[in-house]
Amino acid sequence: MPFNSIPAIDFLNRESELAYLRRLPEVKSDGLTGNVILTGGRGIGKTELLKQLYLRLFREEGCTPFYYSFRTANLKGNYFARDYFARFVRQYIAFLRKEPSLAENVSEPLQKLMPLVSSLGLEWLLDCMADFQVHLDNNDLYWQVIAAISVPVTAARKGGRPVFVMLDDFDAAENLYESVRGDAHGLTSLFSEAMKNSLCPHVITGSAAALEAIFADQAFIGGVERLRLGALPDDLARQLFRSLLGKLRLSCPAEESLQFLNLLRGNPLYIRNLAAAARKMQKDNLAEKDLVECYSMDVSEGETARYWSSVFSRCTGGAARKKAVVKLLMHSVEGGGMEGERLSKVLGLREAETGAALDELQASGILSDQEPLLQDFIRGLFLREIEGRTAEQVREAIEKKYSRAKPESCFELVIPMDLNAELVAAGAVEQIGKNLGLDSDFLSFLQLALIEVCINAIEHSGSHDRRILLKFISRADDIEITVESAGRPFTLDSLSAVPAEEKLRGGQKRGWGFRLISGIMDNVKVERVGDRTRVILNKNIKHKEVL
Amino acid sequence: MNPAQFTVDSRLDGDTAVIYPKGYLNNLAGESLVAECGRYTGKGIRKIVLNFGGTGLINSIGISLLLQIIEDLRTIEGTVCFSNMSKFQVDTLDMLGLLKHLRIFPAESEALQYLGAGAV
Ligand SMILES: Nc1ncnc2c1ncn2[C@@H]1O[C@H](COP(=O)(O)OP(=O)(O)OP(=O)(O)O)[C@@H](O)[C@H]1O
Ligand SMILES: [Mg+2]
Repeated sequence: MPFNSIPAIDFLNRESELAYLRRLPEVKSDGLTGNVILTGGRGIGKTELLKQLYLRLFREEGCTPFYYSFRTANLKGNYFARDYFARFVRQYIAFLRKEPSLAENVSEPLQKLMPLVSSLGLEWLLDCMADFQVHLDNNDLYWQVIAAISVPVTAARKGGRPVFVMLDDFDAAENLYESVRGDAHGLTSLFSEAMKNSLCPHVITGSAAALEAIFADQAFIGGVERLRLGALPDDLARQLFRSLLGKLRLSCPAEESLQFLNLLRGNPLYIRNLAAAARKMQKDNLAEKDLVECYSMDVSEGETARYWSSVFSRCTGGAARKKAVVKLLMHSVEGGGMEGERLSKVLGLREAETGAALDELQASGILSDQEPLLQDFIRGLFLREIEGRTAEQVREAIEKKYSRAKPESCFELVIPMDLNAELVAAGAVEQIGKNLGLDSDFLSFLQLALIEVCINAIEHSGSHDRRILLKFISRADDIEITVESAGRPFTLDSLSAVPAEEKLRGGQKRGWGFRLISGIMDNVKVERVGDRTRVILNKNIKHKEVL
Repeated sequence: MNPAQFTVDSRLDGDTAVIYPKGYLNNLAGESLVAECGRYTGKGIRKIVLNFGGTGLINSIGISLLLQIIEDLRTIEGTVCFSNMSKFQVDTLDMLGLLKHLRIFPAESEALQYLGAGAV
């Protein structure tokens, strides 16, 4: 729905595009093209631009905006025709009454709006509705589609005001069908009539490759201009990330850590998803290392992974071919370079199938070689689907690729949540500390802090697998201990830091754990990683060596 | 640290029970320590010395159970003294702001002397 746009103030860097599109009704009435194909990489902000444009037009009187998304549409012809028609009528009335809710209430039968239509004096619209009903009664698909597609033109003529038509993800319209998929090619060309009308400028979005194929059709020749949305410049990408973190009440990383955002190539979808990953992982005070972790999570199993997985699943043509298409994709990422016949043999596909799959991948936008993120996603997909790695292993592989500071030494340990298991963890700290030459009192404190975190995990996580994963990283001046366990989220503040006097007075004797941990360690963080809680303890070890 | 199995020994010195918790003081150990104190207070003893010379790490649950013992003694107008604590143990209690609520002596004999002087 066009009304769920982001606040205009958060919409960055698209003033010139907005201004350009707003002039289309004027341009069109002057007999110039007035139709625009709006392209740009996946997630770059095509839909958002339409929504922002829609809202601005909605608040004014100059022309009536109409937005239709083919991505979410039911593409069976008669459903589509009814849906397109009904959405137009609702949005038209909503515009006249300046009441967004009239457009949003899609579950209400159109008939119920008739009294309102008539009270607005829109006799011509009542006629359109009656005509459309006749086509429905006659079960005449062709006329239903024509009537639906041409209702904006009729409205512009009869209503005395241009109708600005926005067709989002129009490439999906190629898949409109009558009763089985693929039985009604060419329905998209029916839109060409409406597009020619001087009162109906159109903005059409979709992948560049797919739209070029559609608009190469004779019916559309010469009727469209092209506008390509580019990436956000680096400084605005950072500004967007900072403001999103602010909204999520997370404090922002230092400027030099934000260099890492360059990897996202100014794509607002990725930037939003990275911020969402930071929230999900309860990351605050992000350092570059945290950004790398959030990124790895997002690309391996977060929102961005879901986004691309769903794009990809539309290209595979069924589960049976999935593996072959994953291999094909990986092959393309690695630079291609195998001729068709051999490639098909390697993949176990027929040559024609390979060609068709490549075309689909191309049209979906997943083959962009400009985006390092996409390459990471595709490598991850390959590791999972072909090499059988877990999501966690994929995440770690991506993380490794971007981790700059290599730990000096790292030990990992898994302990069961059994009686006194925390002593095993403490024993490990003792040995590691001895290797580092740390003094024994200092070590005892480290052991105690670790014991407290382990006890907390055992008592509060309610974990099913009843295991605790420990990681000890020692660096030149710092020791880091990570304690991870599955189960319910818990925070260390749940073990609250009530002053000693108050506790004693109130007879509350438990809950000293957090005070101990935070008293001993220099830094304590709690994050969520998938279904696990991760506590990260840091302690500066400079000057703590035995002399 | 001495991760050995927790044990608790005790002896009576006049009207004072001296208790020796040994090993890692956690929830279970703490409870057996509470029970050991209970055995004496049940017999009317109101002075206790806890000698920590053989105690290793005390975790937060162990600490909460020590506070339980202090509270139990307070309700019967008795006194608990701690003795032979390591620097690390004292520092831990200090970190929690508990020192001023405890009577801590370097040696068992000093604790006994204090209690023998009629302190209750
Ligand atoms: N200029 C912008 N400033 C801030 N946020 C933006 C901007 N453009 C888009 N966004 C946000 O980025 C996300 C992706 O945008 P959008 O869905 O419009 O991309 P798209 O190009 O339509 O993607 P797709 O290829 O999937 O259709 C949305 O959450 C949107 O609100
Ligand atoms: Mg979109």
